[in-house]
Amino acid sequence: MKKVLNYIILPGLLAGVLCSCHKLNVPITSELTPSVFPQDSAQFIQAEGPVYVALRGSYGVEYFFEQTLSTDEEILPARGGNWFNGAENQQMHYHTWNSGNGYQSSMWSWCSTIIGQATQEIAILNEDEPNSTASKLTSIAEIRTVRAFAYFIMMDMFGSLPIDTAYGNFTPQPNVPRAQVASFIESEVKACLPNLSTVVGQSTYGRATKYTAYALLAKLYLNDEYYSGTGRYNDCIAACDSVINSGQYSLTSVGTWLQQFYPTNGPQCTEFIFAIPEDPNFSEGPFSFRGTNLHSRYDVPRSEVAKFSLKFTPSAPESTIPSYYAYFWDPNDIRNQEWLSGLQYLNDGVTPVTVTTTNLGYNQFYTGSDPSGSYTYQVNLTPDVILRQDTASFDCGNDEIAWNMGYRCIKFYPDASSSSNRQNNDIPVFRYSDILLMKAEAILRGGTPTLGQTALSLANQLRAQRTSSPAWTNITLDSVYNERCREFVEESWHRNDMIRYGKYEGAWGFKTDADPNHRIFPIPFSALQLNPKLTQNPGY
Amino acid sequence: MYPTALCQMNNPGTPPPKAHWRPFHTIFLAMKLTALLLLVACLQVSAHGYTQQITFSMRNATVEKVLREIERQTGYTFWYNNELLQKTEKISIRLQDASLEDALKKCLENQPLGYTIVDRTIVLSPAPLPSEEIKGRITTSTGDPIAGVSVQIKGTKKGVTTNANGEFTIEGTRDNVLVFSYVGYETQEIRVGDQKSIVLTLVEAKKTLTDLVVVGYGKQSRRSLTSSISTVTGEDMNKGAITDVGQLLQGKVPGLNITANGDPNQTSAVILRGASTINSSQSPFYVIDGVPGVDISLIAPADIVSIDVMKDAAATAIYGNRASNGVIMVTTRRGKKGEMQVSYSGYVGLEKVSNNLKVMNATQLRAFLAKNGEAFSPTDDKGANTNWQKAIEKNEALSQSHNIAFSGGTEHSDYIASLNYAYKDGILESSSLKRVIARLAIDQSAINDKVKLGLNVTYSNSDAKDVPYRTVTLLQSALYLPVSPVKNADGSYFEDFTNANYYNPVAMTNNSTLDTKYNNLVGNFTGQVKLPFDLTYNMDLSYQSYSTNQGQYLDSYFTDNYTNMYDNPNPGLSGHSQQIFGSGGQATRSSYTNTSTLFEDYLTWDKHFGAHAINVVAGYSWQDFTNGDGFTVTTANFPVDNISYNNLSLSNPYALSSFQVNFGADGLYSQSRLISDFGRITYNYNEKYLLQGSIRRDGSSVFGADHQWGYFPSVGAGWRISQEKFMQGQHLFSDLKLRGSYGVTGNATGFSAYTAQSISGSLGTYYYDGITTAALGATQQANPSLQWEKTATADIGLDFTLLHGRFGGSVDVYNKNTTGMIYRYTVDPILVPAGYITANGGSMNNKGVELSLNATPISNSAFRWISSLNLAHNINKITSLTNPLFTGGDSVVAADPEGAGQSGSTLEILKAGRPLGQFFSLEYAGKNASGVSQYISSTGALTTTPNQGVDYHYLGNAQPKLLLGWSNNFRYKNFDLNIFVRGTFGNKVFNATRADLFRPSTAQYTNILVDAAGESTKDYNSYLYSSRFIENGSYLRFDNATLGYTLRKLGPYVHSVKFYVTGNNLFVITGYKGIDPEINQGGLAPGVDYNNFYPKTRTFLFGANVSF
Repeated sequence: MKKVLNYIILPGLLAGVLCSCHKLNVPITSELTPSVFPQDSAQFIQAEGPVYVALRGSYGVEYFFEQTLSTDEEILPARGGNWFNGAENQQMHYHTWNSGNGYQSSMWSWCSTIIGQATQEIAILNEDEPNSTASKLTSIAEIRTVRAFAYFIMMDMFGSLPIDTAYGNFTPQPNVPRAQVASFIESEVKACLPNLSTVVGQSTYGRATKYTAYALLAKLYLNDEYYSGTGRYNDCIAACDSVINSGQYSLTSVGTWLQQFYPTNGPQCTEFIFAIPEDPNFSEGPFSFRGTNLHSRYDVPRSEVAKFSLKFTPSAPESTIPSYYAYFWDPNDIRNQEWLSGLQYLNDGVTPVTVTTTNLGYNQFYTGSDPSGSYTYQVNLTPDVILRQDTASFDCGNDEIAWNMGYRCIKFYPDASSSSNRQNNDIPVFRYSDILLMKAEAILRGGTPTLGQTALSLANQLRAQRTSSPAWTNITLDSVYNERCREFVEESWHRNDMIRYGKYEGAWGFKTDADPNHRIFPIPFSALQLNPKLTQNPGY
Repeated sequence: MYPTALCQMNNPGTPPPKAHWRPFHTIFLAMKLTALLLLVACLQVSAHGYTQQITFSMRNATVEKVLREIERQTGYTFWYNNELLQKTEKISIRLQDASLEDALKKCLENQPLGYTIVDRTIVLSPAPLPSEEIKGRITTSTGDPIAGVSVQIKGTKKGVTTNANGEFTIEGTRDNVLVFSYVGYETQEIRVGDQKSIVLTLVEAKKTLTDLVVVGYGKQSRRSLTSSISTVTGEDMNKGAITDVGQLLQGKVPGLNITANGDPNQTSAVILRGASTINSSQSPFYVIDGVPGVDISLIAPADIVSIDVMKDAAATAIYGNRASNGVIMVTTRRGKKGEMQVSYSGYVGLEKVSNNLKVMNATQLRAFLAKNGEAFSPTDDKGANTNWQKAIEKNEALSQSHNIAFSGGTEHSDYIASLNYAYKDGILESSSLKRVIARLAIDQSAINDKVKLGLNVTYSNSDAKDVPYRTVTLLQSALYLPVSPVKNADGSYFEDFTNANYYNPVAMTNNSTLDTKYNNLVGNFTGQVKLPFDLTYNMDLSYQSYSTNQGQYLDSYFTDNYTNMYDNPNPGLSGHSQQIFGSGGQATRSSYTNTSTLFEDYLTWDKHFGAHAINVVAGYSWQDFTNGDGFTVTTANFPVDNISYNNLSLSNPYALSSFQVNFGADGLYSQSRLISDFGRITYNYNEKYLLQGSIRRDGSSVFGADHQWGYFPSVGAGWRISQEKFMQGQHLFSDLKLRGSYGVTGNATGFSAYTAQSISGSLGTYYYDGITTAALGATQQANPSLQWEKTATADIGLDFTLLHGRFGGSVDVYNKNTTGMIYRYTVDPILVPAGYITANGGSMNNKGVELSLNATPISNSAFRWISSLNLAHNINKITSLTNPLFTGGDSVVAADPEGAGQSGSTLEILKAGRPLGQFFSLEYAGKNASGVSQYISSTGALTTTPNQGVDYHYLGNAQPKLLLGWSNNFRYKNFDLNIFVRGTFGNKVFNATRADLFRPSTAQYTNILVDAAGESTKDYNSYLYSSRFIENGSYLRFDNATLGYTLRKLGPYVHSVKFYVTGNNLFVITGYKGIDPEINQGGLAPGVDYNNFYPKTRTFLFGANVSF
């Protein structure tokens, strides 16, 4: 009978027991589910992080290209087919972009991600921390301000936008007119002001403070005439004054001006109101962003690896255009040192940077008798960018002459400490000098001077820390524009400035397009696919 | 036992019925007793020591009368068949205080009766006939003896096998029926009768319509199938240095599209009847010896007896939950009753690269540059003439495999043990696979063979060596300039880092190591109990464990020189990414284990009455999975390179300012559970009308809480026309069957186990108060409505055998629809910041026709030719790519090879109305007046500056229109020759490799193809991915030729020896310009030849099979 038990009854029982088991739930023990995260203040800090990672996302690379390659500040031609990248850089220069241009889709999805991430974080914080503690209110105000900033730059690029602030509502929204977006941004920022931190320093560095909010409002008001047709210059001045009156910021002197953009910059920079902290070791997680500062990769000639002790070989296709470099005419201006131009020397200032190649390697159009003969020369950066190989394909050629075309900006000084092409230099968004120049411009555009400051006094206050040349005796809107070109090169404001000054329709480099519709980029094809309620901008 | 053939005797009032049974009215009781008897019989309980005393005396009485008297005195009841007593003689008997046993013995003396006492019932049965020795000899039609034929007495487990001379001896009686069976031959039955010696010729089984087919939870005869199942036996599988089961089946099964390259460590891509889904799970589901979901690398090819490929839903629905892509059932060798047998099989093979890319050599490239007024940089031009492809390849790769097995069995048990060792050298330097598989299978019957227990344990250990960043190495080997040497004069590697993305492939190979060890264990315990009422209970308990232990070391040369290198991934949705290494050598160790526990049981009722046969299966299955249990760690900065990845403690990552110890991917660990109830009923009337229905109810923990359970039904019907009366007169068809089926199967794989849940994870790091802080947020949006992806298949088929088995085949037409396709849908990040949500949405359709034919044109005692051909045609179409929740895009671009200067150029698009593998790229329109390649823009104009995406056109697709496999087997006396040809037709291949090597404007920096010699360096567009590089991928491959010679009767110890030589991939007929047209047809971006193709090889192999 024992066998009977063993062979029949036991399996039978086992089967019976197991057959009745239809429980599918398996506990999750290895993931952050809503029931375990975020629950306490340390976790809330981590839960706020993604919006800042998202913001860093494309700020340093693609956003820079979007704002700069479409202006006279920088040009990125192809070199023997390299960097042609489906004509996207060519289109940026000629203003012939369309909804398929890669920069448009990456900008739209980058800004959308920051907005979506912020909305999600606000929802999570509200759900997991029902009590309105001061720290929670500050956290939410910070995130909302970042969201407003994302709306601002997105509106600046694309004009009318969909406004999505309800988390969990998956219904796509249509885009509303730009003026409406601007007023939404204003109301959001104003709503955040009471809860934002007034502390300036390491503890709030890289995050939105009350002064970030005022700086953003100042930008919004300064451009309001263009955004919504109303000039709000006094509002701009008031916002600037809120920053000035705080006494938390000061201009960097001539002696340390260059250093504030070095890899070592950070919370100690007294001009930085809001900056994007960059670090080669930051991780983007699953975001498809580059979240880094790559200026050396695009700007430093590959012949100068040794000069800057780089651990990588840059490809440096990008340079400025002579008409822009012309703003740097004052030999006493410290800001001239942000440029690489002419004959190149190692940092001792004496040893020439030389390259050994062939006659043909130096000049692909060499027609002499010894194309493979060795040729050694001192690197000499030439001001003009010439499409020697082919105009239609926006190509300078792929030889030493081509690689040395154009003056290079090294404001974000190459980072010798990095083992990759990623740099440690933080990128400022709002600087104190911008506050001063915005206020000066607002006064010149009809605003009322305050605090005893005039447009001229404000400009000279800045210039005193930049050049040893004599102070200005008069000031015009154009001279403020020129000063902005010198002050904010590589800081992604030039397109905004050009449009406000009506200069975006001008001709520079090879570009002749004057269509004012191009002040606004087309809504990218990828966005139109994801949200069928979007209406394309006029002219596209 | 005759359940209804029993009657109760002590009921004299009942008149004898017309039937032979009396009394017949107590059928209920009879049934109860039958059950009792069967149970008791099962339990082998016997009665002993009756003490009853019997006394009586009778003369010339009928047996019946005597028995009544015994009944009366003892209270025992007799049970017997009336017919039995009719044969008895009258007896005279005298008993005094006799025991029951004595009484019975005396009264049944000289009567043809025996008896059994069960409890208080005495069952009479015909007396056993005297046992005698029966001898015989079994031969083939050619007169050759067959060893190992199973000779069994029907209805018992008693049996023997034939010896080397085909002879057998067995004890049996004259009324026994002997059953002769042998794999590959028709089973025959012979009644012993007066024969003392049986000489029998076994007839080879007519293929396809006779044998048993493994179906889920049981077997069925092919004759009575209503579904589409293709069977490949071990003999028919591809021969060669093959360590991957996919390659064994290549070209053998219509509708099974298998693509493989020369990589010993990569399994081939297997797609059945077109891809069912665009989520990553496209491969069929493997069931090995009844254990579902076993890793197929566990099985040594030599251990496989047969593979059944279940293609339509009627066949697969019984595995409902994971059967969407078809089910492949593998049956391995088991022991046979009889003497212990030892067999050895082994081979040694030699592989050589079959083809290389025709890039320019130094002279050609120098001439090309000179012609175009260009020259090399002196840094590169060292006067060498290096063949970089050869430099990273071996001249030849040696493979070997040895399999030794011993098996045997007794009357109640059988066993097999085998050990397999295989070593396959990769043709690329530093790549190889070594695998050891040990297997033990035992079966034991007990309790009168009513209970059968089995244990099957298989363990495999693989040691794979590969090159880290192999795909980059392959790319570099194609484009590195031939004028540069592998090494400088001082012995250091030549490098030129001024040339971007340019690395010496030999240095890459020699300065890095990638070793992966896989351990795979499956233990499977089975139990089967034969129950009353034709019921059988089966139970299966199995445990699987799969673990990997990987070590990668990039030495200090590699890390310090190649940091910031871009990788070169296989075709997919994303492009390349930058690799940043810690200096001073970087080591990665990872170790992960996946385990699964399975319990299954099912009850089978198999009943035949008259012309009706019913088979019912009902069961339950419970399976638990733990995946990704382990860790990864990457550290850097080692004092020396030669400790490799073996001692991570010696690393000093903290000294590197910009390096962080890396712990690998997030979210690999998961637990999930599958629970199912299933049932199937098959009915067949007279083997003429066949019906089958099945249903499976599956639950999976991976779905949203309210959507975990799914129902997967199927129905099938078959009509064997050849059994009809009107077919009896004809002699053309020996079998003709029409069948049709419809069923639904499900898919719960291809995505993370926690996909339905809201999960937060690392979204990078950010600056917070001076510290790099983790940013944690929702990496995955909850999708509580995530549910089963379903695939419905309708199949109509016709099976036919003509001319007495000389010619046969089958045709299948199918329509397969997948709905609720689970896919990572891109959504507007403003709504879902993760940018995607995994949800049910799109749908996909496959329609096709399959034909398989086999013929035996010649068959006589000396020469035989068997030929089989299979053809398959499939049309795949994505019918929708949208999700009802999100109005999002209807298309996704795929395949971004990121060749130099072509970032963002995608080659394919997934789009509703288009097939998977739709090429979507620039349309080449020749060259303009100045010799620059031009393209057709979106508006139809010609342009030399086409826009990515905007100016793309639909340009054919990667899916083949026709797959062909043709096998011919010739036998002449002891020689046999097998020739196998297979082909793929009507597909396009995007030859991105060619495009990237078609760039004359940069020929002084990177090499170009010889074919590009006619291009002008002024054509800056020549290399753009476009229709110019989309080629016809059709090919016909002379895949395998095997010549064998068999020696038999080699003395008392060796039964047979077969020697064979095999040549694989002998030649390919194709117009394709790349290395080989057999480009991966699996995945989301099939049919793209990306500059990273592992070279295919040609193999010559010598093998021997010996049986002792």
